[in-house]
Amino acid sequence: MQCPPEADPPSAETQVRSQINPLSAFRDKGIPLIMPEPQERHYNIEKLNRLFAIASLVLLAALVLMFADDYSRKWKDYQKEFRQLEIEKTRVKFDKESNRLIKDEAYVKLEGDIAEAQKVFNAQCSQFAELDKKLKKSQAEDELLKHRLKIARAELDAARFGYEEALHPAEAGPKNTAVEALKQRFDGLTQQVKKLSKDSEALESRILEESRPVTECGKGLAELDRKKKALEMQSFILQRKLKKIDPGEMSPANLTAEFVRDLPVIDFANPNYKIEQIVLKDLTDDVNFMQVPKVDRCTTCHLGINNPDYKNAPHPYRTHPQLELFVGNESAHPLEDFGCTVCHQGRGRGTDFTSAVHTPSSEEQRKEWEKKYGWQEYHHWETPMYPMPYVEAGCFKCHSGESPIKGAKKLSLGLNVIERAGCYSCHAIDKYKNWPKPGPDLTHITAKLDKDWVYRWISDPKSFRHNTWMPSFYNQSNNSDPQSIKRGQQEIHAMVHYLFNQGKEFQLDGVPSTGDAQKGEAIIASAGCFACHKIDPSPTGEKTTRQTLMKEQGPSLIGLGSKTNKEWIYNWLKDPHRYHPQTRMPNLRLSDQEAADAAAYLAKDKNSEFMSKPIPAVDEAMIATIGREFLLKSETEAQANAKLFKMNLDDKLNFAGEKLVAHYGCYSCHDINGFELAKPIGTDLTEEGSKPTDKLDFGFSNIERSNHAWFTQKLKDPRIFDQGKIKTADEKLRMPNFDLSAEEIEAVTTAILGFVSDKPGDSKLKPKTSRNKYIEEGQEVIRQFNCQACHLIDGEGGGIQSSVADWLVKYNDMTEGDATAVVTSFSPPNLIGEGKKVQAQWLFEFLHEPTTIRPWLKVRMPTYKFNVVHLNALLRYFSALDDQEIPFSELIDIKTTAEELAAGQKLFSNDYFGCAKCHIVGDQMPGGSAENWAPDFALIKKRLKPKWLKEWIKDPQVLLPGTKMPNFYDPQSFDQSGPEDILNGDENAQIEALKNYLMTLTTAPTEAPKPEKSLKGSKEEPATAAGAVSTPPSSEESSRTEKPKGP
Amino acid sequence: MEAIKHIINLIIDPKIVLPFIILIFFFIFPPTEKLFAINQKYRLNKIWTKQGGIVLFTTLLFFFLFGLSDENFRKIVSKPDNVPIVALIFLVAFFLWFSLKQAFENDARLVDGKKPNEAEDSAEKVLVWPDLVYIEFIALIFCSALLIVWSVMLQAPLEEPANPTVSPNPSKAPWYFLGLQEMLVYFDPWLAGVVFPTVIILGLMSIPYLDNNPKGSGYYSFRDRKMAVSIFLFFWLILWVFLIIVGTFLRGPNWNFFGPFEYWDPHKLEALTNVNVSELIYMVWLKRSLPASILLREMWGFFILVIYFGIMPAVLARIGLKDVYQRLGGFRYAIFAVLLLMAAGLPIKMFLRWAFNIKYIVAIPEFFFNI
Repeated sequence: MQCPPEADPPSAETQVRSQINPLSAFRDKGIPLIMPEPQERHYNIEKLNRLFAIASLVLLAALVLMFADDYSRKWKDYQKEFRQLEIEKTRVKFDKESNRLIKDEAYVKLEGDIAEAQKVFNAQCSQFAELDKKLKKSQAEDELLKHRLKIARAELDAARFGYEEALHPAEAGPKNTAVEALKQRFDGLTQQVKKLSKDSEALESRILEESRPVTECGKGLAELDRKKKALEMQSFILQRKLKKIDPGEMSPANLTAEFVRDLPVIDFANPNYKIEQIVLKDLTDDVNFMQVPKVDRCTTCHLGINNPDYKNAPHPYRTHPQLELFVGNESAHPLEDFGCTVCHQGRGRGTDFTSAVHTPSSEEQRKEWEKKYGWQEYHHWETPMYPMPYVEAGCFKCHSGESPIKGAKKLSLGLNVIERAGCYSCHAIDKYKNWPKPGPDLTHITAKLDKDWVYRWISDPKSFRHNTWMPSFYNQSNNSDPQSIKRGQQEIHAMVHYLFNQGKEFQLDGVPSTGDAQKGEAIIASAGCFACHKIDPSPTGEKTTRQTLMKEQGPSLIGLGSKTNKEWIYNWLKDPHRYHPQTRMPNLRLSDQEAADAAAYLAKDKNSEFMSKPIPAVDEAMIATIGREFLLKSETEAQANAKLFKMNLDDKLNFAGEKLVAHYGCYSCHDINGFELAKPIGTDLTEEGSKPTDKLDFGFSNIERSNHAWFTQKLKDPRIFDQGKIKTADEKLRMPNFDLSAEEIEAVTTAILGFVSDKPGDSKLKPKTSRNKYIEEGQEVIRQFNCQACHLIDGEGGGIQSSVADWLVKYNDMTEGDATAVVTSFSPPNLIGEGKKVQAQWLFEFLHEPTTIRPWLKVRMPTYKFNVVHLNALLRYFSALDDQEIPFSELIDIKTTAEELAAGQKLFSNDYFGCAKCHIVGDQMPGGSAENWAPDFALIKKRLKPKWLKEWIKDPQVLLPGTKMPNFYDPQSFDQSGPEDILNGDENAQIEALKNYLMTLTTAPTEAPKPEKSLKGSKEEPATAAGAVSTPPSSEESSRTEKPKGP
Repeated sequence: MEAIKHIINLIIDPKIVLPFIILIFFFIFPPTEKLFAINQKYRLNKIWTKQGGIVLFTTLLFFFLFGLSDENFRKIVSKPDNVPIVALIFLVAFFLWFSLKQAFENDARLVDGKKPNEAEDSAEKVLVWPDLVYIEFIALIFCSALLIVWSVMLQAPLEEPANPTVSPNPSKAPWYFLGLQEMLVYFDPWLAGVVFPTVIILGLMSIPYLDNNPKGSGYYSFRDRKMAVSIFLFFWLILWVFLIIVGTFLRGPNWNFFGPFEYWDPHKLEALTNVNVSELIYMVWLKRSLPASILLREMWGFFILVIYFGIMPAVLARIGLKDVYQRLGGFRYAIFAVLLLMAAGLPIKMFLRWAFNIKYIVAIPEFFFNI
């Protein structure tokens, strides 16, 4: 590069150059610069300039595009739309409120009054105009005084500091000589402040005095104005809101601010449209290396979710459908504390439709979403939102201990199906760790069944009982080809052989009499068997609910005569625990005759069609093949063949049978000798809902690639994923088919989706108080033993009533209407408030060894053989439910006087309340029909809590709504409702006296005479606890203290 | 249509395509006079003219357009991660064509006794400021705009939180490392991940010392630098670009090989039971069990290596690379030959693996020493 000797006169070219060369400007102005000045240009600078211009414009456009792309977000559109909606809603509300005010008589009158008062004010108070002026002047003076006072005070404080410092000089410092001057200044200022404050006070009181007539004169008007404002409050609030959000109502300044605050870049400060988020510290997302707090931004678009005004608004603005339970501020799950994704799943941080990982509920919805929102499957989030049909799955992670989970109907049904079907016995589920095996005990199978029946049963249980819970292993989609069928037949032969081989001896007692089947039918119908068992010869088409499942607690009893024999049924009824120690079937304490009758009836039902199904012959070669396959797993072919060669047919059957029982996991549900310690064969389901979808084998099926679709398909046809695969017999899927209905499958899928690994923070869980724990433990026992099939507990149950009504119609000549009307009187009692009602000691003993309380009932509380854990759990449950103290150290202290006792007796008598008209007293049965009878008074002392008894006498309807017990005292006018002539008409004293009287009634332990027969039907069992009532004890005996022992 | 796709899928099987492109390569970029004569005879150098370019690009474009009609192809090609690789194919093809076009034009001029094209320009001066800087600045602006628009249009996906128990399938290295990742299929990590990259860098550093051909300096030319251009392009196109393309478009779930129109079935199973050379020799050919002694066992592998690296250079110095040997002298020739053979080892090993399932030439897993 070289410097030109001197500049040429500016040519057109250099001018162009000077445009692009900023330094050339200096040169043109004569400023000397050493500049490279080329003679020639290789490139056309014009062209480059143009290119530069184009490039700059392109870059500018790109930047604008970047800004626009970054600025335009779908959620902003939603927020804008929501704002329109909000404005409309507020306007409508405001108009409505205004209209209401106009029509409100009080308001119209008030307006009139104000106009009137204004007139009066104008007329009377105008004279004060002059005074007003004067007052204003005084006020100005006062303000000035106060200002001076403020300054003087500050100076005083400073002076005090100076003076104090001067009095205590620093050790080494020179002595301050100005102490005196400082003191003077301090004193002077003190005086000044005093004076100023005095002046100000004086002026203030003068102003108050002078303004009094003005205030007085306007007082009426001001009061009316205040009233008007109070009435207008709602409308005022709405108007203020409108001014804030409605551009039509805004002031110009606000309108400008409104526009500016949402401009790009500026919108970092305080925009109208912004991402709303809820940060939840103790609810976390698992990002593998750490738990990070959930951040839910759902409310950025779901803007009306906790506002009840948007119930009918379109999505995404619509109110949550269960505001009282979720999201609402008053609900158990407020939005601020729980957010959204802890229940719904999905990606809380997502702010557009796809990245929030919404999941469509159906194929149609999927298509709709794809069209409407451009929805796509979001692969990068492992917990997509639950589709609506399975939304209750989210409840389980926090409420897993409860059964049922209230408010989650489908989930609870799913859990109940799992419990009934016994899924937990093959698939470990934490919740069901200690649950009993769902199937019957097979360790004494020889006493109960015969081989042919068992063969037919295993090959197709549904053909014997359409509603059995025994699942089908054969005739399934992966073993229905001719080859598999042949093999299957021999497998069944082997298993049957093994089962009968392992079955131990069991001594059946002989049936004492032949038994009357007709009587037996009545016993079955009346004793309460139908609470847990069903005998529906053909499907009823009834939808499965938690209530119908309670009726299927025990096996269906169709064709019992084909299945087993009368002797076994008799023995079973007499003592179920003898044959099956773990059974949940209770002992109904039937007499020998009753048991024989019932057995005769049940054994009569035979299924000849089933029993005539052909049984193929045993094929030794096939059995050997099966056996060899199992042997080859651990041995060489030669060894296996040698072993098989040594076996005879029985041995082969036995060997193959044992291996097959292990292969199919029969022992998971049934007790089988030799498999006491075997582990369940299924996948652990405790965290199945959190399993990534790619860990599920979809095989060649065409279903949607989602976990819920997989679970649904698996339940519908457990072997489906074998379709199209080439597998050997022992590689095939072996989960049996329960033939669940569509709604059962949906419910079970919901439950499985709920089995997740998330661990919500303690603060979000139900508090772990002992009360909650006791309730959950009790609920589990109640579920296991199906208490709610008979009793109403915690607002649920009592399904037995329909069968009691049937019995009333069939055996007591009642019409259906009558039967429905009185059915509660013949059904097991409602246990609402049981913890409050009965003494713990009594309940413990009763549950352990029930006694008769209501002898007129045909249904009877059976003996369950509860162990002590169950008993305690139940006791704690009832106590906790009614907030009673645990352990049960209650003092039952009855002190009474002769006078009181007499009063009590009087009230008891037929002259007054006539208690014995309905209540049994020991062996004395009341008159009238049994539907009006009430429990035995003789039990009160041991059974009831005195406090409850008092409340009960006072107002039984509160404790047990709908009870037959009449109200002797009117809760509306309690003080006037009792008889006036007893205890001076003191109602509380009367109740106390009656309670004490009742608590003293006892039974002498005499042999009870049989209660008179009042109902048709079978013979009644004697009331074991009934006895003679002793006369009321004399007064000296009547003071007693009893302290029941804790269980 | 489907039939064509099927045929393409079959052809792209590496054991067919790799030898095929290597063969073609040496005719298109002939390193020796003999091959060059064939190249001239069949007028393969016509590719590097305007007409040739049009044909080349039309073919490439047509292939992609045809491919886009296929769902699987479309899915892979249009994935935001893979779009740059598509661009890479076109860009590499363009610049290759552009430079070789100039090279062959210069060759023709040199044959005619003229000076190369670049000589005409060299008299002219171009100033750094403002010309060069200005042009660079404009290019920079265009590039910025392009990158911005690109990033707006094709969004980089934000994926799920990393989970040590769940790795993406296939898990792929960034595109520029895909060649190295592909090498891991054929060599142990210490070779593919440590030795080879080091040798590549050392080899590149040694180029100025090995290439002492003064011709072709300052202008594009092929005829004067046949071997240099051919060797460089072989490594660049086949061992780098081709492997990136394979890694991006043809390696699917479980690192299985998929044709361009094949569905990426994560369940695809291939029976890849590879054998070591020692197993092949002892068990299959000699029908006896492997000797217990490692040295005895791997003797054959070492033997092959000694032949390959020890005797081959000497043979080549006499037969194929005689003139190179004469030009470079013994020491430089030795370095050149070892580097060349090492690099050639990769396609050889690839071919052995694909065609004969050879796992290792020398397999001493006891000392993590496998070649």
